[in-house]
Amino acid sequence: MLTEVPVETRVELFRLICLQRAFEDRVMALYRQGRISGSVYTGRGQEAVAAAAGLALGPDDVVAPLNRELATHFARGVTPADVFRNFLGRGDGPTQGRDGNMHFGVPAKGVFPLVSMLGDLCPVIVGAALAFKRRREPRVAMTFLGEGAFSVGDTHEGLNLAGVWHVPAVFVLQSNGWSYSTPASAQMVNTNLAERIRGGWSIPAERVDGTDALATYEAIRAAVERARSGEGPQAVECVTLRGHGHAAHDDARYVSAELRASFPDPLERLAAQIEDADAIRQAAAEEVAAALAEAEAAPAPDPAQLERGVYAMPV
Amino acid sequence: MTEVTYLEAVREGLTGALRDDERVFLLGEDIGHFGGAFGVTAGLYDEFGPKRVLDTPIAEEGFVGAAIGAAWQGERPIVELQFADFISCPFDMIVTVAAKTHWRSGIRLPLVIRAPYGGGIRGGPFHASSPEGWFVGVAGLKVVCPGTVADAYGLLRAAVEDDDPVLFFEHKALYRRLRGEAPAGDMRTPIGKAHVAREGADATVITYGSGVQLALALEHDVEVLDLRTLWPLDRDAILASVAKTSRALVLQESPRAGGIAGHVFSVLAQDGFELLDAPAALHAPPDTPVPFAPELEDAYLPTAASLAAALEELLAY
Repeated sequence: MLTEVPVETRVELFRLICLQRAFEDRVMALYRQGRISGSVYTGRGQEAVAAAAGLALGPDDVVAPLNRELATHFARGVTPADVFRNFLGRGDGPTQGRDGNMHFGVPAKGVFPLVSMLGDLCPVIVGAALAFKRRREPRVAMTFLGEGAFSVGDTHEGLNLAGVWHVPAVFVLQSNGWSYSTPASAQMVNTNLAERIRGGWSIPAERVDGTDALATYEAIRAAVERARSGEGPQAVECVTLRGHGHAAHDDARYVSAELRASFPDPLERLAAQIEDADAIRQAAAEEVAAALAEAEAAPAPDPAQLERGVYAMPV
Repeated sequence: MTEVTYLEAVREGLTGALRDDERVFLLGEDIGHFGGAFGVTAGLYDEFGPKRVLDTPIAEEGFVGAAIGAAWQGERPIVELQFADFISCPFDMIVTVAAKTHWRSGIRLPLVIRAPYGGGIRGGPFHASSPEGWFVGVAGLKVVCPGTVADAYGLLRAAVEDDDPVLFFEHKALYRRLRGEAPAGDMRTPIGKAHVAREGADATVITYGSGVQLALALEHDVEVLDLRTLWPLDRDAILASVAKTSRALVLQESPRAGGIAGHVFSVLAQDGFELLDAPAALHAPPDTPVPFAPELEDAYLPTAASLAAALEELLAY
């Protein structure tokens, strides 16, 4: 399988993973310095899934990332400076300071904005896929679901609709072991989400090691292409361990050192298979530093504009 | 003059929208070959086929969410909820995703959710509610409520052509009881504008939906203001009418603490205080769920007699 991923794709996966890691390390530091309001969510340990999913999509596809899929945004062409603008609440950021951290979308890049209510985006993505099917467009709509979202009814309604309507939707299942502080075993009896998706909704679902960027990319890319070619909804379960707490305030002391030691770092794992890995890392760190400087210089939002845009067509 | 029912006017609105715009499609429970729980979509499946008239599983949160996603991608879906009571199921999808997305991202969500509401058919606590008030005050949503045959058509066409999410509350007791002239195909009722349904001098009855016909039947010299859109509320129309009549009575089928009354009173208290010769009055059912037994529902709902009594109390102040 390793040889099937072209070298330029491998390098791009690594670049995206490094960019997410460098960005999130920086933004966590900013949070601890009190320079970020609200909260910070990271995808530490899950960067390979985010990067692979983003790269597996085509330019006309659409995606609704959650809060641990920063590299998916980057793969769509969202810039680190844009994301910093959102974390810093800048007036020219993706939400113009109206929402923070990972709660943003970039419509021009086909990215739907994250909402906090888990599971909501599952039916929304099914509806986008329905639009593509109605118009016979060879496009795919993707979203992500973790174990937390798997306890929510919307998820099940969305998966069921995807199957009944046979739409080109791809669900990337983020099995990172935890829903906030609650282990997957307290969320569900059968924690094998791929098995449940296959058995419950007759949706093809492969289970992969989400710390293996190449295997993850291959699986998601194949799922995207099956969906695109009219084979209906697809799922890929990516098994990882959430590297940080739910959010920056959560030190995740409930995750044992033994468990942590049993999961490799996806970044280091891919680095070993990349030439010039150090140069790519260095470039990512420099890009993030420049992006932060750009975002910090961006204008603050204007409270006088707050009521603009409540409606697309004000009465 | 061709006469149609309120239900037929809604159906004509759906038919016209489906004919005029490829992006329009309907989705909901049993709306296809069965024609919907009330028969509103009868015949549309035969004319437009399963791609335009889509039966769904019983999953309101799911198919309202899917309508949002389709609207994001440029379609103009019209969702039918079997009963407005069931809007509690997709409440999260409506207030979390539909309402806030444009403000957060600039994404337009042209989406209509039709919800048959109201009592008078012995529906009981789960098939007769008037939950429109839950959405009044929610930034990003538009809430409309036709009280005439013309508006059943005109508001629906306007809602489908609107780029924001519109909740369309149609009164199920009016479906077959209310008749009127068939609206012209190009007729549109503007969203956000109340309408003086009858001019009068002694008081203003501020109402919508099923209250409109009840108010128009009054023999008193009162003005009837049909709100037509509950949110955003047409404050100016309320104040202009009360400036003329100096007395206001809000008539609604939603319980006293729900519906639109609180918002209308807020407008009057803040900006209409000096226009009033009497405290603003409210005629509405008690704060209970809608009861089932005929003796109870008939006592619960406003009637011509109970409205006249409430109005006379106001006029006597």
